[in-house]
Amino acid sequence: MKLLLSSGSWSMFIGRSHPLLVHLPIGILIIAFVLAMLAQRQKWAHLKSALPLVLLAAALSAVISCITGYLLSLDGGYDEHLLQTHKLLGIGVAVISIVLYILEKTNNRFSRLQVPVALLMILLLSAAGHYGGTLTHGDDYLTQAMPAGLRKLTGMSNTATNVAAYTDIGDAKLYEDLVRPVLTARCYGCHNEQKLKGGLRLESVALIRKGGEHGPVLKNGLPEESELFKRLILPEEDEHRMPPKGKPQVAPQELELLYWWIAQGAPVGKTVKELTKTPRILAVLAGMQPPPALDKNEFVPENMVSKASGNSIAALAAKGVKVLPVAAGSNYLAVNCINAIDFKDADMALLLPLKEQLIWLDISGTHVTDAAIPVIAKFSKLTRLEIKNTVVKGDHLDQLGACTELRYLNLTGTATADAGVLSLRKNKKLQQVYLYQAGVKPATIQQLQQSMPKLRIDTGGYLQQLPSDTIIYKKISV
Amino acid sequence: MSMHERLIREANEETLRYLTRRHFLLDCVTGLGAAALGAFLTGCGSSSGKNILDASGNPMAPRAPHFAARAKSVIYLHMAGAPSQLELFDYKPELQKLHNQLCPPSFLEGKKFAFIRGVPKMLGPQAVFQQHGESRAWISDHLPHFATMADEVSFLKAVQTDQFNHGPAQLLMQTGSARLGRPSIGSWVTYGLGSENSNLPGFVVLTSGGKTPDAGKSVWGSGFLPSVYQGVQCRTQGEPVLYLTDPDGMNRDLRKQSIDAINEINKQEYQSFGDPETLSRISQYELAYKMQISVPDVMNINNEPAYIHEMYGTQPGKESFANNCLLARKLVEKGVRFVQLYDWGWDCHGTDEALSIDYGFRNKCREIDRPITALLQDLKQRGLLDETLVVWGGEFGRTPMQENRDGKEMPFMGRDHHVEAFTMWMAGAGIKKGGSWGETDEIGYAAVKGKVAINDIHATILQQLGFDHEKLTYDFQGRPFRLTDVGGKVITPILS
Repeated sequence: MKLLLSSGSWSMFIGRSHPLLVHLPIGILIIAFVLAMLAQRQKWAHLKSALPLVLLAAALSAVISCITGYLLSLDGGYDEHLLQTHKLLGIGVAVISIVLYILEKTNNRFSRLQVPVALLMILLLSAAGHYGGTLTHGDDYLTQAMPAGLRKLTGMSNTATNVAAYTDIGDAKLYEDLVRPVLTARCYGCHNEQKLKGGLRLESVALIRKGGEHGPVLKNGLPEESELFKRLILPEEDEHRMPPKGKPQVAPQELELLYWWIAQGAPVGKTVKELTKTPRILAVLAGMQPPPALDKNEFVPENMVSKASGNSIAALAAKGVKVLPVAAGSNYLAVNCINAIDFKDADMALLLPLKEQLIWLDISGTHVTDAAIPVIAKFSKLTRLEIKNTVVKGDHLDQLGACTELRYLNLTGTATADAGVLSLRKNKKLQQVYLYQAGVKPATIQQLQQSMPKLRIDTGGYLQQLPSDTIIYKKISV
Repeated sequence: MSMHERLIREANEETLRYLTRRHFLLDCVTGLGAAALGAFLTGCGSSSGKNILDASGNPMAPRAPHFAARAKSVIYLHMAGAPSQLELFDYKPELQKLHNQLCPPSFLEGKKFAFIRGVPKMLGPQAVFQQHGESRAWISDHLPHFATMADEVSFLKAVQTDQFNHGPAQLLMQTGSARLGRPSIGSWVTYGLGSENSNLPGFVVLTSGGKTPDAGKSVWGSGFLPSVYQGVQCRTQGEPVLYLTDPDGMNRDLRKQSIDAINEINKQEYQSFGDPETLSRISQYELAYKMQISVPDVMNINNEPAYIHEMYGTQPGKESFANNCLLARKLVEKGVRFVQLYDWGWDCHGTDEALSIDYGFRNKCREIDRPITALLQDLKQRGLLDETLVVWGGEFGRTPMQENRDGKEMPFMGRDHHVEAFTMWMAGAGIKKGGSWGETDEIGYAAVKGKVAINDIHATILQQLGFDHEKLTYDFQGRPFRLTDVGGKVITPILS
């Protein structure tokens, strides 16, 4: 096979100046349009004298662009339909700029057509430019780079492409999550529906298997014999090298992935876990393990919630109760009474309007009693509850069973009843219970621990003294 | 007119005669120049107040971090002077074999040390090591209590710094820069989170060991942040905060009235000039008034039960690291964001008995062993360790070589300052229990794996408090500044 590249010719050389020259008529025509519009006004009428020269330059550069464009199209590898549209529009622009020039030169009864023709020219110019851009860069070149806000505004789907869809590399699908992104980033630019270089498209496994105009590019299980891999490791100077010199290259670990994928028989829908791994690919995969999500917190529900009413928060603030979102931008709330020691059972009702949002509650050191527990039981999303140093006896602790999300409970310094503590068995998600100085019998603790083996129960009372605590090290003088 | 008055007048007239028009113009030039310079330099001032103000206008109002936090508070135990990692956590049996042999030239070529000159001898570990807990962490017999906490903490064994003198190294450790002028970690934290308890400062500093750190009070300064965010030093002897009590003859009501009046004037001042420092002043007056009641209360350890005193080894009324540990727990319990402890006396060069690896160092270890263990256990039993990040470390490490100051043998065993690898540990608040990250070479000279920079420590502390360290910024001198400057990576291997 022979790449067209290898046989350089004048026509091709000139053709490749198309992307360069094509911007001349664009710029000149726009300035001609602006001048023509301004010249309509009496104040700017003197600008009219510049129009013949500007339009002549525009017409000439447009014609030259058409010729170079045609030569470039002989190069091949473009979507036929798109190319045809672009070609026709381009010729249209060239013709219309000649017409504009003639209208300007021959000052006859047609010259008042100048404004509508100029408007038509701008339309054609924009359309030709758009299709030209699509031919070179693909049709999602601009939209890909759109910020999330703008995407939403323009009604486009908001699929963040840079976030890994897996938290463990073992769960990643080899083709979908690892290989396809490489092909997208490095190969699609030239091997897509619009720009079929070498007659090859790489958007799906079916298309890859179909191969290009020079035959198949993939041999199952034999990466060394597959063009899809072979060409990537040719010397950079080689004319068959892909991606061509000067284009963004495939990174070494991406090469390893491609090699492994072909060696595995180019599977689709298989996860990394399911496939046999060589030590070499294991090293590559280890480097691709996504970092842990640093903003995850199991004490915050994953689903969203509506905003709590500002009035209820203000009413609590007036009592000295601090109500804060658990994170900026989150509607879930944390409440603490560190500066509201006068907080009492009657005030608990103030918290009720927040029951959808309240997830962390600290009423330690306040005047609340057991009567507060039934109110707390209404906060079904609560994950953390601190009732340290209060007179709560825990008679109603069984009602906390309604707080199904509860993970952390601190009863330090309360006089908790044994029966109440045992009823915590209902809280299946409970991970930690603090019962330091809560006067719970060791037997009760043992019983609770037996029924909930994973629960961390801390009753405190650590004290260790060693004889060495009093030794003072000194040099013994002889 | 008396003789005396006439003499003065004559002198005045004589002076005026010397002040010619030329003098006046000359003075004008420098005067105007200075005025113009002042205008050019306005960019150096603190930026507009938008950085700190929330709706309430209170710079210390509590705020939510970037994402839901693991830690509500931080207790940072800084061993000023830098303890030897080779006698505590970084067990190097190979170094023992090289004991008293001359240091190989490869360790000295192209290196600079604070005191070592010429070719020093190697110094083997002067402690007995054992593995502890399920994590099998190496901890020496210098810390018998702490050894029981092996499964609560995560060690960082390959921390690196680039400053081998105490002052700059402490500044780097506490402010992220070896030069003066940057805010300390605690200042950044209170700037980001405000204070939970409106009656106590958000950032409290406690010192022990008889000396403040070499870098001075800048290690808890607020740098270019409004000064409301600087650390408040509390003393364990005498008045907890200096100048907080009312002077004789002034009662609390009168004090309240005068503070209200001053704040009213300051509010007008702020409305006309918008300087955030004015807001700082207002909130500091208000806080000081509240602290007159709250601070003596929280700083009083007399009412703690006897077994707590036994646990920590505290003696009320003394300035000690143990007392500070107990106070740290009390402060955190009361919602203080950042408690910074400095314990001086770890600079064991071997110059005298107190600063020697063989004697003084062991005594220092004994002084911190029980209090730190008690602090961790006390936080744990109260359910506070889950939301309090405890950080322990010095400003750098110690050399595997015996110090030979001025090329002479030292009277006691000692080690020089070492920047290439030292050990720190963290515990609580989402830190892995029984974790360890980083390794040094066979003799503990250089980090070989899991290297950690000071910026990384800062990034991790901010991370546990719910901050993306790259987004917690303050505009100053025309650009946003952050604690981690242009570096910092969260040390994920020690996160649970």
